[in-house]
Amino acid sequence: MAGHISWEHESDAALVRRVLAGDVEAYAGLVARYRDRLGRYAVHLLGNTADAEDALQETFVRAYRGLAGCATPERFGAWVFRILVNRCRTMGAQRSRRERVVMSNESMLGEADVAHPADRQAWAEAIRWALDRVSPEQREAFLLKHVEDLSYQEMVEVTGVRESALKMRVKRACETLRALLAEVERA
Amino acid sequence: MRELEDELIERVAEALRQPVHLDAALDVRVMAEVRTRPLRRSNWFLRSRTIRVTPLGALALAAGVAALVLGTAFAALRLRPAPATVSAASAVPFVLVAPEARSVALVGDFNDWDTAATPLRATGLSGAWVVTVPLPPGRYRYAFVIDGMRWLPDPGAPRAPDDDFGTPNSVLTVGT
Repeated sequence: MAGHISWEHESDAALVRRVLAGDVEAYAGLVARYRDRLGRYAVHLLGNTADAEDALQETFVRAYRGLAGCATPERFGAWVFRILVNRCRTMGAQRSRRERVVMSNESMLGEADVAHPADRQAWAEAIRWALDRVSPEQREAFLLKHVEDLSYQEMVEVTGVRESALKMRVKRACETLRALLAEVERA
Repeated sequence: MRELEDELIERVAEALRQPVHLDAALDVRVMAEVRTRPLRRSNWFLRSRTIRVTPLGALALAAGVAALVLGTAFAALRLRPAPATVSAASAVPFVLVAPEARSVALVGDFNDWDTAATPLRATGLSGAWVVTVPLPPGRYRYAFVIDGMRWLPDPGAPRAPDDDFGTPNSVLTVGT
């Protein structure tokens, strides 16, 4: 059983080579290694867990199918991230954001204890509310830069967008978040 | 003021960096699905590579396609309409005008993207390469491979909208 096998000491490149050699179960190691980080990005980008899990599952399956095309297996993480970014763009355009309707409900936000941002839950709600009001392109750039800590060069590689455009999107996202959250903190 | 604003963004980022809860069965679902799906055998098309398509070459290609559409050399052959629909179990012709190519192959969902599976045959006229493939009804993504290196969508067919790997494909629908 894959669940009883430890992949911790195997590099990405080693796991990719094993999968390509026919050891399908070794792919579980790559899934386990990247699910949380990729999932976090997808949840924040898409705004709900259900869509994020769908995007993540499709990403891992597509990555597996195209694994032979991972030219630098030691950089599997960056490669699969690129696939996820594309899946999230597609899904973001196609699907309604089911939880957003709930989470962005301003009356609900009003009921939360947003006047005390030390309250972690209220602060998280406020952030989701604000992030929801940032355009998908700007949200994508903001998450990659400030949450995933990618360099602009890495962001170019992942998104296919020019660096100057990415910088502008991050700047705009920060401006929007500052304005919205400053307002929340003053409330 | 700016420092306070940046501190705000940092607090936002810190909150967003916290782990999110995902279904524990996600990994199981992924593995169950990949066990049922074969790996694509070839890998050349996803690698970084230099594609040398000069504007002049593109014009020549477009001119060649136009010539074919006009039926000057290959009245019996046709490029894919958008998207093509043919009768069930029909043999589907694929045509590419590539006068400078040394080899052309067809890759797609129907041959597991295998560059060796479906070579096109040079006709010797107008630099056209042709192959006919029997396809059951369905929707297929495909592309041409020139000289074993260059990935080229079908100039006469629509692009596949879902191209996660950043490589251009065309799309074909075979009707029932």
